[in-house]
Amino acid sequence: MLSLQLLPASPSSSSIRFSAPFNLISRTLKPHSSRTRFRTAAVPVQSVLQWNRKPQLAGETPRVVVITSGKGGVGKTTTTANVGLSLARLGFSVVAVDADVGLRNLDLLLGLENRVNYTLVEVLNGDCRLDQALVRDKRWSNFELLCISKPRSKLPIGFGGKALVWLVDSLKSRQEGCPEFILIDCPAGIDAGFITAITPANEAVLVTTPDITSLRDADRVTGLLECDGIRDIKMIVNRVRTDMIKGEDMMSVLDVQEMLGLALLGVIPEDSEVIRSTNRGYPLVLNKPPTLAGLAFEQAAWRLVEQDSMKAVMVEEEPKKRGFFSFFGG
Amino acid sequence: MTSPRFPVLCHREIPSISSSWPPSIWTLDCHSITPIPQASRAFPGRLAELRAGFGMKLSWGRWSSYRGKLRKNFFVKVSASGDPVTSETDSVPNEAVGAGKGDPFNHFRGVISSLPPVVFVMKRNPGANFVIGFCIATAIFFIVGRVYAARNAMYDRPGSVADLVRRGQLRSDRRGISTPLKYEDPFNNPLVKVGKKNSTVEMCGKVYRLAPVTLTKEEETIHKRRRSRAYQWKRPTMFLKEGDTIPPDVDPDTVRWIPANHPFATTASDIDEDLAQTNVYQKHGVPFRIQAEHEALQRKLEALQREERLDKLVIDRGNAKDFERQFKFQAKSQDVEQGPPFKPSKSDFSPSPAESNSSSEEIQKS
Ligand SMILES: Nc1ncnc2c1ncn2[C@@H]1O[C@H](COP(=O)(O)OP(=O)(O)OP(=O)(O)O)[C@@H](O)[C@H]1O
Ligand SMILES: [Mg+2]
Repeated sequence: MLSLQLLPASPSSSSIRFSAPFNLISRTLKPHSSRTRFRTAAVPVQSVLQWNRKPQLAGETPRVVVITSGKGGVGKTTTTANVGLSLARLGFSVVAVDADVGLRNLDLLLGLENRVNYTLVEVLNGDCRLDQALVRDKRWSNFELLCISKPRSKLPIGFGGKALVWLVDSLKSRQEGCPEFILIDCPAGIDAGFITAITPANEAVLVTTPDITSLRDADRVTGLLECDGIRDIKMIVNRVRTDMIKGEDMMSVLDVQEMLGLALLGVIPEDSEVIRSTNRGYPLVLNKPPTLAGLAFEQAAWRLVEQDSMKAVMVEEEPKKRGFFSFFGG
Repeated sequence: MTSPRFPVLCHREIPSISSSWPPSIWTLDCHSITPIPQASRAFPGRLAELRAGFGMKLSWGRWSSYRGKLRKNFFVKVSASGDPVTSETDSVPNEAVGAGKGDPFNHFRGVISSLPPVVFVMKRNPGANFVIGFCIATAIFFIVGRVYAARNAMYDRPGSVADLVRRGQLRSDRRGISTPLKYEDPFNNPLVKVGKKNSTVEMCGKVYRLAPVTLTKEEETIHKRRRSRAYQWKRPTMFLKEGDTIPPDVDPDTVRWIPANHPFATTASDIDEDLAQTNVYQKHGVPFRIQAEHEALQRKLEALQREERLDKLVIDRGNAKDFERQFKFQAKSQDVEQGPPFKPSKSDFSPSPAESNSSSEEIQKS
C-alpha cells in the first residue's frame, strides 16, 4: 500500500515532461554537484569515511539547516544535539535553535536546562536582548542554544517564522561574527510549529527510521519542504539495526533510499548509549570512548559541512576473519 | 588439513570415540584420516600392516603407501554400501565386538580388546618408543592448546558484557558511565578503519560490509517530480483565529487557522511587528520593555516628588507609601546581593535591577 503511494512515478512517464523541472533542479544544484564532481575526481576514496582532516565548509554562511521528520520521536532532537556539538568540535560556530515550541527538550539533551532564562519570545517582547537569550555551552564555547519560548508561554505565531528570519539576520551582523551553522530543531507534525521552523531554512535534514510509518511522514514532509523552495534535502536514517536487516526483519537503508529518493547524510545505528546520554544531558559525540552511534553522528556532521552525501552504507556485520592459526588458539 | 603427522594418535584415539560421536563431526574434524577405522575393523590382518609400519619408523613414504592401500580398501567398501558414513560407523561395533549393536560401551570394550596388539608392538619394538613418546607429547601439547583456545573462546562469548567492554561501549572500571570527551583531536580516530578496497569498514572493533549507494540523480529528480505532483502546498503566511474573516487581498491557501485554545500558539499579539523586529536586532543597551517600564516608573516618581515639593502638607501619604513599600519589597526579595534596599533616584539608571526584576517575574510565573 505504501509502495503504491510512494512510488507511482515510473521513469517512462516522467521522462516525457522531464526538461523543465530538470533544468530548475540542475540550476539549484549546480554549485554542489560541480563541487562534488571535482572533489571525487581528485580523491575518489574519501567519500566513505574521513577523519584525518578538517572538513571544508561548503556553501554560504550562515548555513541555516532545519532538522525535521514529520513523525514524532524518531530522533530529531538527538540529531540536532549531536550534529550540533560535532560541528562545534570540528571548529565551527553553531547556534542551535529549539523550535519545538510546545514540547521543547533540546536543552535537556544538552544538559543546559538550568541555564535557559530567556527565550526568543522575551527577545521579541523586549524583555531581553538576543545575546542574553543565547545560552553558551560551557564545554564548547562556539556552541550556543536558543529556545523559542517557555513551555507555558504562548508564541505569537503570526510572526514566529518572521522572528526566526530576523534572528538569522541579527546573527549575521553580530559583533563576534556570524555563526557558520544555525540548526533548527523542528517539532513533530506539520502544524504551526513546523511552519515556523522551516521559514528561515535553506536546507533540511530529514530524520527517519526504517519503518513505513515514519517513511510516509518523511515523504510528505519532503514534499512540503520542496513546495516551500527548500531544495537541498538530505536524510538521516536513525535507529538502524544491522542484525534485523540481515534477518530481513527491517528495511535496509538502501530500501529506504529507494522509497524516498533522497541523498543520505548519515545512518545512525540503534544504540543504547543514546538513552544513557540523554539521561546525563551529555550528547553522545562527547563520549569517550566514542560509541557506534556517536561516530555515525560525527560522520553525518562531517558530510553536512562539505555538503556531501554517503556513497556507501554499512550493510551488515562481517565476522572477523580468523586466520589458519586461530585453530590452535593463536 | 590435519596432516598424517599423528598417525598413532589418530589410530588410538579415534576408534574409541567414533561410535559415540555423530558421524558428521567425525568426518569434519579428521577428514583425511577417515580411512583409519577400516584398519581397526579388519583386525588383526590390517594391524599386521600397521605393525610393519611402526617397525619401519613410519617414514613418510611408507605411510603414504599405507594410506593409499587403506583408501583403496575404503572405496571398495563405500561403493558396496549405500550411505558411506553411517554404514561405516554402524558396522564398526558389529565387526569388532559382534554383540551390542551400536552400544558405545560395548564398542569401547571392543576397542580396548583390540588395543593389546599395539602394546605388543611397543614391547616388541623398543626402538619405536621414541616415536610413540614424541607422539604422546605432541598429543598432550595439542590437547592443552585446544583447551586454552576453548577457554579463550569462552571469554569472548558473543554478546556478553566483556564484548561491550572490548568494543569500547563500556569501560570495565566504570560500567555505564563513559567519561566526557574533553577536547580531544576529532581528526584522529583509531576506532574507525576503512578496509582495503573500501568494501569493509571496521568501527568499534566490528567489521561491516559496505554496499554502494545506488541512487542516481535521475531517480532523485523522478522522486522530486512525483512529490511535486502528490503534494501541493503553500506555506501559510497568515495566521488567523478561527472565526476571523480572511482579509480581501490574501490567498486562502496561505491562511492557517489557529484555534483559540491552541497549546502554544496564539494569533493575538500585544506588540507590533516593527517593534519586535527592532528588539531582535538590538545589540546593545537596555532592552525595550525594561526601558519602557523603567521610564514609566521614573515618570511616576518624578510626578510624586514634584507633588511633594509643591505641597508637602497635602501629600497623599498612603499612595506614596504603598508604592514605595511595594518597590522595596520587590527589590529585597529578588536581589539579595543588592544589599541595602534599593532607593530609586531619578539621575542614575542602571539596567541591572530592572533586569533582575524581569527574571524574577519569570521565576514567579513559571
Ligand atoms: N539511535 C538511537 N538509538 C536508540 N535510541 C534512540 C536513537 N535515536 C533516538 N533514540 C531515542 O528515541 C527517543 C526520541 O528521540 P528524540 O527526542 O530525539 O526524538 P524527536 O524526533 O526529537 O521527538 P519529538 O518529535 O518529540 O521532538 C529518545 O528517547 C531517544 O533516546
Ligand atoms: Mg524533539
